[in-house]
Amino acid sequence: MIHMRDVSKIYDDTGTVALDHVSIDIVKGEFVFIVGASGAGKSTFIRMLLREVLPSSGVLEVNGRDVAKMKESDVPYLRRGLGMIFQDYRLLPDKTVYENVAFAMEVIEAPRRLIQRSVNAVLDVVGLREKYKAFPSQLSGGEQQRVAIARAIVNDPAIVIADEPTGNLDPETSWDIMDIFQRINAAGTTIVMATHDKTIVDTMRRRVIAIEDGHIVRDEARGVYGYEA
Amino acid sequence: MRLRTSEYFIREVLISLRRNHWMSFASIGTVAVSLFVLGVFLILVLNMNRLASTLESQVQISVYFQEDAKESLRKKVLSDIQEMQGIESVRYVTKDEAMARLRERLGDQKYLLDALGEKNPLPESVEVTVRLPEMVQTAAEAIEQMDGVEEAKYGQDVVEHLFDITRLMRIFGLVLMVLLAGATLFIISNTIRLTVFARRKEIAIMKYVGATDWFIRWPFLLEGMVLGFIGGILAALALRSFYAAMAAKIYSTLAFFPLMSQYPFMNYVSAVIVVSGMIIGTIGSTISLKRFLQV
Repeated sequence: MIHMRDVSKIYDDTGTVALDHVSIDIVKGEFVFIVGASGAGKSTFIRMLLREVLPSSGVLEVNGRDVAKMKESDVPYLRRGLGMIFQDYRLLPDKTVYENVAFAMEVIEAPRRLIQRSVNAVLDVVGLREKYKAFPSQLSGGEQQRVAIARAIVNDPAIVIADEPTGNLDPETSWDIMDIFQRINAAGTTIVMATHDKTIVDTMRRRVIAIEDGHIVRDEARGVYGYEA
Repeated sequence: MRLRTSEYFIREVLISLRRNHWMSFASIGTVAVSLFVLGVFLILVLNMNRLASTLESQVQISVYFQEDAKESLRKKVLSDIQEMQGIESVRYVTKDEAMARLRERLGDQKYLLDALGEKNPLPESVEVTVRLPEMVQTAAEAIEQMDGVEEAKYGQDVVEHLFDITRLMRIFGLVLMVLLAGATLFIISNTIRLTVFARRKEIAIMKYVGATDWFIRWPFLLEGMVLGFIGGILAALALRSFYAAMAAKIYSTLAFFPLMSQYPFMNYVSAVIVVSGMIIGTIGSTISLKRFLQV
């Protein structure tokens, strides 16, 4: 799924070394937490998977595609295999729940009948089928994040990447979100989640990769958060 | 492009035309005014060219006598011309004949001549036709050298003047066009920039879920094209009325002017104007996309 060999990232403008010879393999169906302080290299790691930034050196393969060598015109197809979820949901305020999710399929020119079927199915998964007509402003934070999850999985990506998905949510709501992630993961989707939430990491006991100063300092199969909350 | 996709694009264009309706209105207005000016110059230059080439093809020389030339001298000039090489025909035009022609040419306004009463101020002349247009100049120069001849006029003077005028008009029109095109591009690219700004969140999400660059660009290009198209249509409609009015005016005062007939000429002009509008609109949005849409 994700294969990193000796990957470094040095930002040209500032000379900052964000990742320093990182090697890592994430296989299909894994549930991985990426932990570490802000500025440790987590977001560079995530942006690289999406090819928002290119590795300065090393080999990076995502879903069997060589990220560094791929053509610019192939980037959209790389991203269709990745479902992205953000801390701030990033829903379109003038579209309904249904339209927000359908939007992700429309813009990759999916057939209309498939759109209707898939959107209804993923709204069932996140438990928002009833609220399909609501606008984001009429929803709670947890519900908005569930819409964002529905949007991320509606194109059936092999990997879901979540950047602090529970960062704006209270503990109880956070668990609802994690529950959905567990179900998606159980269905075979790989999940990579960057987080600062100690309780979640410590309770779930999944693979934990800790990044500090651009290095991987810890990679445990059933790990814990390992830092003070 | 799939039907579903084009529906999506059309919907997006309509939404953003409505969202930025003042900017859209200003863009369409600027395009329309610019293209109208372009069209006026196009019409004028094409008609002047036509007038010039019509005159050029008239290989006729009008010879006027000196006031004091005696009847015998005039006869001699006439026979001398007839003996020249390359002369097709020579015709003597009396004062009465000249007056009759003028009357005919004036058409509805021949009453103007009533003011002259019995007097006829028109001179006698000789009309000389040469066999080949190339010979007009040499023949005219030779005739002018003859005793008793005041001048030998042919179309060339007029034609050269006309060409000077059209050249000036072309340069002036071109400069004006460049300025107007600049203004049009500026306002269209600004309109599109507003659209890009209004839709930056959508664009970011489109990139994350894997929309292709062209899918993202299309609605913006289409919007520019639509602005240009509507502006072009308005300009073309205005030009048609303008030309119809101009033609009516000219036919009633300068009936001999070889004006391009309205159809199909104005259809071609309209097509040029509308297509130019679409091209300008597309270029305008391309400028904006290059600068503000990093895809």
